[in-house]
Amino acid sequence: MTTPSDTCFHCALPVPAACNLTVEIEDEQRPVCCPGCKAVAELIRDTGMSRYYDLRDAPDPGIGRPPEEAAEWSVFDSKDMLAAFTEPDGEMSEATIYVGGMYCSACSWLIESTLGKQPGISSAEVNPITHRLRLRFPSEDAKLSGHLATLANLGYQPQPLSPDSTTRPEVTEQRTALKRLLVASLGMMQVMMFAVALYAMDFQGIDADMQHFLRLVSFFVTTPVVLYAAKPFFTSAWRGVIGKKPGMDLPVSIAVGSAYVASIFATFTRGEAVWFDSVTMFVFFLTLGRFLEMRARHRSIDRSAALSSLLPNTATRIDGESHAVVPVSQLVAGDSVLIRAGDPIPADGILDSGTTSVDEALLTGEARPQPKALGDELSAGSVNLDSMIEMIVTKTGGDTTLGTISRLSERARYARPAFVTLADKIASYIVVALLVVATVVATYWYWADPDRAFVITLSVLVVTCPCALALATPAAFAAAGSRLSQLRLLVTNGNAVESLSRATLAMFDKTGTLTVGLPKIAAAFVVDNAFTERDCRRVAAALEHASTHPLARAFALQEPLPSVSSPEIVVGQGVSGVIDGREWRIGNAEFVGGGAAADDSTATHVFLGVEGNAVAWFEIKDELRPDAVQTLKSLRQLGLKMSLVSGDNKVAVGSVAQSLAIRDAHYECTPEDKLAIIEAAQQRGECVVMIGDGINDAPVLAGADTSIAPAHGALLAQTSADVIMLGDSLAPLTTAIEMSRKTMRIVRQNLAWAIVYNALALPLAAAGFVPPWLAAIGMSASSLVVVLNALRLNRFE
Amino acid sequence: MSILYVLIPLALLLLGGAVWAFFWAVGSGQFDDLDTPAIRVIMDDDTKPDQEEKP
Repeated sequence: MTTPSDTCFHCALPVPAACNLTVEIEDEQRPVCCPGCKAVAELIRDTGMSRYYDLRDAPDPGIGRPPEEAAEWSVFDSKDMLAAFTEPDGEMSEATIYVGGMYCSACSWLIESTLGKQPGISSAEVNPITHRLRLRFPSEDAKLSGHLATLANLGYQPQPLSPDSTTRPEVTEQRTALKRLLVASLGMMQVMMFAVALYAMDFQGIDADMQHFLRLVSFFVTTPVVLYAAKPFFTSAWRGVIGKKPGMDLPVSIAVGSAYVASIFATFTRGEAVWFDSVTMFVFFLTLGRFLEMRARHRSIDRSAALSSLLPNTATRIDGESHAVVPVSQLVAGDSVLIRAGDPIPADGILDSGTTSVDEALLTGEARPQPKALGDELSAGSVNLDSMIEMIVTKTGGDTTLGTISRLSERARYARPAFVTLADKIASYIVVALLVVATVVATYWYWADPDRAFVITLSVLVVTCPCALALATPAAFAAAGSRLSQLRLLVTNGNAVESLSRATLAMFDKTGTLTVGLPKIAAAFVVDNAFTERDCRRVAAALEHASTHPLARAFALQEPLPSVSSPEIVVGQGVSGVIDGREWRIGNAEFVGGGAAADDSTATHVFLGVEGNAVAWFEIKDELRPDAVQTLKSLRQLGLKMSLVSGDNKVAVGSVAQSLAIRDAHYECTPEDKLAIIEAAQQRGECVVMIGDGINDAPVLAGADTSIAPAHGALLAQTSADVIMLGDSLAPLTTAIEMSRKTMRIVRQNLAWAIVYNALALPLAAAGFVPPWLAAIGMSASSLVVVLNALRLNRFE
Repeated sequence: MSILYVLIPLALLLLGGAVWAFFWAVGSGQFDDLDTPAIRVIMDDDTKPDQEEKP
């Protein structure tokens, strides 16, 4: 993989000008951006894994960059922790670890190869879709810390999962669905084989005993297909009847059930015709459609991991005089925990000692730190910024605010796409209509020509099997889903493709969606001529290095910084510290000691001063994403209207709206306001696609017809989004809209084809022009056409 | 043709065996991950010579 010389070979972040670090890989000196990346690249090279760089996809900048502080992994070696995070299996133990920061299959190869070589590990397997690593090792010398540290050294964020969170409902659902699919497909193939024999014997004359035998065998094979593979249709239909809300599974059940019972009756009374082949084939195609759709549904981000990765693995519990590091899962209400500055808060609770400010951006979307004093409530998942605090736990795990939000979004996940449901519904009504038509045809021919009645009825049933109709939508959606995931868009809700294709209004959130979300120094103004801009930036970087304030990141420099003695963080004001014997301060104008007020209020201003005199001020801005203008332009060309809703102030929103030529901009919106704006637009008949990344956007995202969240945003916003954009670009939006329109075109073509085919084939078969063997070919061919048409989506660029 | 009375039940027995084997495979987790194994095979083949050259 070639990397431009000004970006880091390992993590693709820009290399700071002052940084001269390189790594020799494959006989060439490659630039890296920081000592951490250098160490990782060297580790990868020294373990013989340099091929990783050839195999991986283009990385998102910053991914794979090692954390700046080494976490304390040794706590995972204690007996309690091992018991909590590993599962014994004979003489071996298994641990499941969620690996954060993976982005392609080369990562899984790197992890498997590196860990697999470590002593004491018998196997390491990574699933790149769920980002889960399964480690097996002998129970005797079980130690997790070394492996977790290796993962962290490679630049990933490991997160051991307790065994109960690994046996997820999806796994059980997929296993059962696979078994049903297999029973249906093997059963169908067998019954078809016997059916061919039965048809052939119609022409050549059949020995009555042999016919009876073949029918008995067909009955024997069909029974598990109907009773096992088709069971979900029956139970769902029965639930519908009891709840007095008959669903689409009811006609399916009637069709399958009645054809099955009628066939049994015909078998044992040696009647005219059996329909075992039609029954098994219908069940097979329906089960296949459901299976494809389920796979698409599971191919979304793993929500339980998303939730647990927001929380720390461990918490420091205060037991009287001593402190104990315990797994977060062992915390109970009433425990007192110690939270260091910079650490995430492990549970909901009440501040018991100390004052601090916390970053609640994840929960509320508010980027500014929130001050917290004694008795204030703290929420799990927010980050303690300033100083060490003690907290009394009130709620843990799933009961926390975070847990509740994630559970609410989970509920929406198991809903079936309405569009697929509609197609199923149509298909099942057609099945009922078909049985009626078949009866009419049979009755007519019984009077007109009793000898041919059986063959013609059979042809009608086979030729008009609505398999193509039942497959038309799921096949197209499954193909679209797999192509979209290659184009870096994850569809988590099957409805999304359909509603995206109808979208008329794109509504954007500002921070983190249209803008980068990371503050940057837009301009620096030096007031005191005794200092150069470079001096000021270095001093500012040195001072802010001590701070965890979100704005502090804007000042970071990758070069040796002057050393600061006795740095002090003043909550809500700034940072002070002594450099070369003089007291420097950085923060707001008042804290620094006066300074020129700036007129441009679209930016945040930070002042730097020495011994009470302002020296410089910095303008900090959140820049537009580089491709925002281009993407909005192409969306307009697709005929979408644009709208901007933000919780930010009027000026900040106005400047973004102006540079993107968005006329319909709303500012200082609460989530309720945003929802009201969406509902008003929907009243006007717009189909709204909402693009936002904050967790406070969750209800807003749910209210829109389609919701899209970028993968770098709050993880919980993604859980309520229909589509997740991977990567760091807005461009996939255009692709998503184009792709969804193309998909719906294909669905319509498929449905039209299936209906035209059935409409043409039915009269021909009813009139007696189609022999059963031709009917069978016609039915298979029509299904094949539908699937092949759907597969065209895989070539979408 | 009477041989069919033997052969078809025999085929059904084999079918039962196949279903049992598949159910066992699904139950033991072999089908839980349908995505990785395909990639894993390709990558191991590609990388082995490379690792030997550059220890």
